[in-house]
Amino acid sequence: MSEIISLAAANQHLQYIDPGTGNSSGISEMLAPSACLNAAEKKLAFLYLDNSVSSIAAFWNFFNSNHACALLSSSMKQEFKDSLETLYQPHFIYDIKRESVDGYTMEKINSSLEIFISRISSGYSVHDELKILLSTSGTTGSPKFVKLSEKNLVSNTKSILEYLPVQSSDVTPLNLPIHYSYGLSVFITNSVKGGKIICTTKDILQREFWSDFEKYQCTSLAGVPYVYETLFRTGFTKKKFISLKYMTQAGGKLNEKLVDVFSQFAEDHNVRFFIMYGQTEATARMSFLAPEYLQQKKMSIGKAIAGGRFEVDPVLHELLYFGENVFGGYAESWKDLNSYRQELPLHTGDMATVDAAGFYFITGRIKRIVKLFGNRINLDEIEKVLNEQFHDSSFICTGLEDQVLLVGVKNFQDDEKIISHFLHSKFSIHPSVIRIKQVEHIPLTDNQKVNYTKFMEQHGD
Amino acid sequence: MTNTEKLIATFSDALTLDASKVTDALTYQSIPEWDSISHMVLISRLEEAFDVSIDTDDVIDMSSVAKAKEILKKYNVSF
Repeated sequence: MSEIISLAAANQHLQYIDPGTGNSSGISEMLAPSACLNAAEKKLAFLYLDNSVSSIAAFWNFFNSNHACALLSSSMKQEFKDSLETLYQPHFIYDIKRESVDGYTMEKINSSLEIFISRISSGYSVHDELKILLSTSGTTGSPKFVKLSEKNLVSNTKSILEYLPVQSSDVTPLNLPIHYSYGLSVFITNSVKGGKIICTTKDILQREFWSDFEKYQCTSLAGVPYVYETLFRTGFTKKKFISLKYMTQAGGKLNEKLVDVFSQFAEDHNVRFFIMYGQTEATARMSFLAPEYLQQKKMSIGKAIAGGRFEVDPVLHELLYFGENVFGGYAESWKDLNSYRQELPLHTGDMATVDAAGFYFITGRIKRIVKLFGNRINLDEIEKVLNEQFHDSSFICTGLEDQVLLVGVKNFQDDEKIISHFLHSKFSIHPSVIRIKQVEHIPLTDNQKVNYTKFMEQHGD
Repeated sequence: MTNTEKLIATFSDALTLDASKVTDALTYQSIPEWDSISHMVLISRLEEAFDVSIDTDDVIDMSSVAKAKEILKKYNVSF
């Protein structure tokens, strides 16, 4: 049996609550006999999830089987689902949004779980250690998945439980999607050691979310920078939440103003505020800043979690991480599922410094990505796709402070809006964060590589 | 442009949605285009378009097109 399931099943305080009906259930009631799903051969399952109790039941049933699961958003566009399914040929699909899937038969596993099973057996093998596949970029439909083992999950869960004050009297709202590494870590750590979990499909911009928060006396809240910006804009910090015990922030750098606002809120209301750092390649978490250092070590990502360790590359200043939670490689199609190889250290793609007391600070980014609304966008991929789509023009892409996707274009005669519309339909990037600049030429370095630094200097204002 | 036209154009732009789909009955999270991200874009675009400053509580209350009109009326925008 899976160690995570054993731990969650042993947690007698664990209750998954559907705030719509008020019904609650434990993990044991959710699990069908594992024989229903188990097969001689290990297969891949695609689980399209929201944060409802039925999604959670689907997740645990597959987690309890010997198969590997890719966790995906149920609200992903159908065309993205189609292309991912072509690339990965999953044997099982869980998706309540569809009545039928071509080439699959629907089967009822128990009274509440219906899944699609492929009529023909996929002819590829899935590595023994491979347990979970997570997308690196949310709902953008990118086929790049991070390969995680159960050992990765167990290790990261234990490290997180060393520092977060998770306890059996907690009431945790699932306000982040469980198919996202941060949301999954909230879900798993609380399943193992927490109490009530509010399986909500409402978000923080809906009244129902806040009335449930009040009704169930929720004790924590988790958010990426964008969630904190929204909380601030909607007047969260002017209110009182008597039950609130702690808040966590991860998924990118929170700006200094909001760090101050929420530190003050935390101090005024006796709430512990944890600023954390991680990425999907590290299962979720790599470091955290203990709340007592919020002011003294402002903007620091803190220190590595228990069992983990940082180093800074002396030449590139890249932050390197060592720990059992480091992933086993990427997958871009089913062909990559027969391997799982952990390579240490993890190259985070971020640049960092460390102070004399051992606190780490992110100073920049080496990796060509921009995080928009918590979703990671691969800039090289965007550039490549744009160059292919509009082949008479040339493109250069960069990110500005995780706020804007800056696109430089040479030789584009049509309306620039065509470019933003294309990026929106292809990658679900909201046009409001896309800035397009016409350029005379794409700046190059002395050795004829694209000079992003120069492009930013010229157009990044 | 009348205020109703302006409202529809702002919704259509912020939600990346065809103007014909912007009806009074349209509600938050009922379509993939109106999610938490586009909602916050919508709020700032409405503030710009109507030159108003929308209250924190109204950001959450603006959960349908009809509601948006009702709320904007409080800020002296007539429809």
